Amino acid sequence: MAGVSTKEIKNRIRSMESTKQITKAMEMVAASKLRHAQAQVLQARPYFELIYGVIHDIARNNTDETLPYMHANSGTETVCYVVMAGDRGLAGGYNSNVLKAAYTEMQGRDAVVLPIGKKAAEFFHLRGIPLLSEHYADAEHVSVGDCFSVARTLCKAFLSGQFCEVRIVYTTFVSVLTQKAAGLKLLPIETRADILAEDGPDASRAADILYDPSPREVFRAIIPEYLGGVIYGALCESRASEQAARRSAMDTATQNAEEMIENLSHKFNQARQAAITQEITEIVAGS
Amino acid sequence: MKTFPLTIVTPDGVQFTGEAEELIVRAVSGDLGVMAGHTDLVTPLGMGRATLVADGKKRYAACIGGILSVLDGKVKLVPTTFEWADAIDRERAEAAEQRARKTLDDHAATSVELRLAEARLKRSLVRQSVAQQAK
Repeated sequence: MAGVSTKEIKNRIRSMESTKQITKAMEMVAASKLRHAQAQVLQARPYFELIYGVIHDIARNNTDETLPYMHANSGTETVCYVVMAGDRGLAGGYNSNVLKAAYTEMQGRDAVVLPIGKKAAEFFHLRGIPLLSEHYADAEHVSVGDCFSVARTLCKAFLSGQFCEVRIVYTTFVSVLTQKAAGLKLLPIETRADILAEDGPDASRAADILYDPSPREVFRAIIPEYLGGVIYGALCESRASEQAARRSAMDTATQNAEEMIENLSHKFNQARQAAITQEITEIVAGS
Repeated sequence: MKTFPLTIVTPDGVQFTGEAEELIVRAVSGDLGVMAGHTDLVTPLGMGRATLVADGKKRYAACIGGILSVLDGKVKLVPTTFEWADAIDRERAEAAEQRARKTLDDHAATSVELRLAEARLKRSLVRQSVAQQAK
């Protein structure tokens, strides 16, 4: 009887060991991808911050509210969400956190989703939320150029009055151990009144800015650039977050496997010892 | 000579940060020069050569797309691509030109493909001319 149980335990140890090898390998792959993604985040972050700052400053100094992109479209209630998730699972809470955050934000609103990442496309497809395009569902192969074409598509749709608002939901890469899902309003851009209400009233008067060739033209040209930059920045953050989340999830999985192997080996030794003891007792008793 | 603080950042990272004496970029309506004390200005950029004078030295770069903003004397150049003349890969630019021309000659190409090819052709020509001038 004892012999059967030692064999069973041995099998379980063997299967745990192969699981451990897989999780270990996945961790190492994620760690090397993370290094690359982290470098990309660090490169893209100044751009993201600068372009956001430039638009913020312009909006703050602008008093002409008839310019394009400054107003929510009144004819529609539809909000367009750009949601960034991964292509694959096994990344801890990465996908579910960002998708849940996006889904909660959408409650009670008329939403359309532009998914980036296969998991995002599947999630919203399953819940019957209309998808704007599945062209960018493959998050791993979305390039800078794609970000700018997404931005142009969104801007065109916004100007033609299809959406009253455009928002983005992604994961910010705080550190290797912390990633947070975040939502950001992309369009319409904040007006001077919004910014002053947020920052508190200050003495700065609206400066006279020279727009070349004309304010309208400038806004039409720079807002898609701005949007593309922000989307690219969010994509870099999301990618790094995904790898970081996967790395720590796989690290935990490897540790759990190790712990389990240790317990099982202990049990195996006990069972083996018990079998030997029993055999000796039988021999002694028999003679 | 009076200088002004300048930052040049692209999605690939920070390209320049520090004091500059003069910056000339190709805006949508033509070349535009910025020196210290410039009035507040915002303009989208076209495709062309950018000239930067800093520390008495002149440097050229291919600067494509993006935004130039001057606010409170601080100049921020946020192009989509920005390559210093000495960093331009001429062979790559020439290869891109050939590919783009091939697509433009292809009668089966869709309008989207044509538009992309046209943009690619312009970019590669800008790169080549900047690399040529810098020699």
